[in-house]
Amino acid sequence: MNSGAYRWFPIPALLLLVLAYLVPLSQVLMISVTDPELGLGNYALLVTSPSIARVLATTARICVITATAALVLGYVVAYCMTQARPAVRRLMLVGVLLPLWVSVLARSFAWVTLLRREGVVNSVLMGAGLIQSPLPLMWNEFGVSVGMIHTMLPYAILPMASHMRGLDPALMAAARGMGASRAQAFRRVFLPLSLPGVIGAGVLVLIFSLGFYVTPVLLGGGRVRMVAEYISLQIQELLQWGTGTMLATALIAAIGLLLFLLSRAVGLRALSGAR
Amino acid sequence: MTQEFGDDLRLLGRRGLLGGVAAASFAPSLVRAAVPEVVMCNWGGDAMKAFNDAFVGPYATSTGGKLVLDGSGPTNGKIRAMVEAKNVSWDLCDSGVTGLAELATRNLLAPIDYTVVDKSKVEPAFAYEYGVCNYMFSSVMAWDTTRVKGTPTMADFFDLKKIPGKRMIRKDSQAMIEMALVADGVPIDKLYPMDVDRAIAKFQTIKDSILTWDTGAQSQSLLRDGEVSMGWLWHTRATLLKREPNSKIDWNFTGGVLQPGLWVVPKGNPAGKQAMMAIASMQDPANQVKLLSALGNGPANPKAAPLVPEDLRSIDPGYPSNAAVQSLINADWYHDNHGKTFKRFLDFLSA
Repeated sequence: MNSGAYRWFPIPALLLLVLAYLVPLSQVLMISVTDPELGLGNYALLVTSPSIARVLATTARICVITATAALVLGYVVAYCMTQARPAVRRLMLVGVLLPLWVSVLARSFAWVTLLRREGVVNSVLMGAGLIQSPLPLMWNEFGVSVGMIHTMLPYAILPMASHMRGLDPALMAAARGMGASRAQAFRRVFLPLSLPGVIGAGVLVLIFSLGFYVTPVLLGGGRVRMVAEYISLQIQELLQWGTGTMLATALIAAIGLLLFLLSRAVGLRALSGAR
Repeated sequence: MTQEFGDDLRLLGRRGLLGGVAAASFAPSLVRAAVPEVVMCNWGGDAMKAFNDAFVGPYATSTGGKLVLDGSGPTNGKIRAMVEAKNVSWDLCDSGVTGLAELATRNLLAPIDYTVVDKSKVEPAFAYEYGVCNYMFSSVMAWDTTRVKGTPTMADFFDLKKIPGKRMIRKDSQAMIEMALVADGVPIDKLYPMDVDRAIAKFQTIKDSILTWDTGAQSQSLLRDGEVSMGWLWHTRATLLKREPNSKIDWNFTGGVLQPGLWVVPKGNPAGKQAMMAIASMQDPANQVKLLSALGNGPANPKAAPLVPEDLRSIDPGYPSNAAVQSLINADWYHDNHGKTFKRFLDFLSA
């Protein structure tokens, strides 16, 4: 199969990647060490600028919260999907996929409707007499996290479910046959076997979360500033291209590092379900 | 990214996009070779039809040239990219005081040629070396009449005991710093050079009650939905809120900040000096009043005041009685201080 003309087939894709991705990316890297002057001055800001430090800390904190919550919630759904009958599983899959086709903007606005002061959640709780004054459900990190977890759930569920389906059900049956309780069989057999899928999904969610822009802007009320918004501000408004491209480069480096650690931990093949 | 005032006009609606393009192509084709076509970049939407109706036809009649509208949004970043790549496709860009500050300090703009553009047809405070007023707008205070009795003062904005509820400001230091200082007792004609520390300290007193808006539409919904009891926003949005059926929102110009929408010309613009001819043609007061009635953007030419119909005077930011109660933004101060002030303000909000 690998002989003859076939080996040339990836060339167009490779060219596209180089021209549309690597070339502009290297320009970004160049600007980060040349604007406003040659040197690593922009990178020094990573340790010297309190406002950049705060933006990075906020970004990291929200990404970890988002990834953790998405994994816990997603694991339950993924597990149920693997255990369900095929017809139910297909239905669940549609349920997981549907939100992916709704724009992040629309979903964020929907959360505004639910979480705002006179929104659905507060109105119901106040109407039921459970609270006296509206809860601060948005315009803070809580609101941003809710919106991001919602957006990220499919990305957590799908890789985990795909990995879980690749596990041999006979192993669980064997554990039960040898006297393990359902809980023991899950904890000592299924859970460890499913971990590579969990790690893979976690890294995927972390990587996507790092670049979030719309959700923090809409649900954070100006109080929650993540790195993507900060980069956009530097590039489009303040014309501090050096600072903006430095942060973009640092972001890519962070993602590269995550992927490297991931491949060391579980191997990229295990993630895709290929064996 | 914070939205520019001009960008806001795009979000008012989508009609008129095609109308602008179609009408622009009716300009006489014979003279096109002689007079280079001028590309005017704004933020699209309703502004396309309004600018087209007000300015494109008159320009074709008076100069025989063609004015083409591009609604793709002239952000500072795009202008810098074009100028540095020496591949400029815009002649006129709809910018503002902070855009001018970032662009002019980096030498990315061509100076306005006041031998062509008539300085007497523009508010003197808004005619700068690298930008000239194209229309006026204001940042004003609006309030929820179900929660605020009577007409509040600027100081009431910071009095959470007297008027409970959250306060809304723009996620931008421009005009917000001025208004905080006015609320703190600084006279409107003694704001500059601004004491940013004092303004931030003033905001600090209500920090936990502050909500911010990015887009004009957002500023409307925060007030309409009862999220805040008072807010500082653009007068165009306050006007729309007050006009809504059963509106509970009222506003006035008192203590507000009068700001210019500015024409800036990117360095190396394709039509060269013809861009200045286009600016001059758009200084006609009657045509500027058309823009006021379509968008709420106030005429840049002080001579337009007598032409403003009575029912529009209360929303015309530059109308003498309205201008008298507002501060005039000072572009020179922004030229030297915008970047650091804006960063400081955003750091304060997210701290």
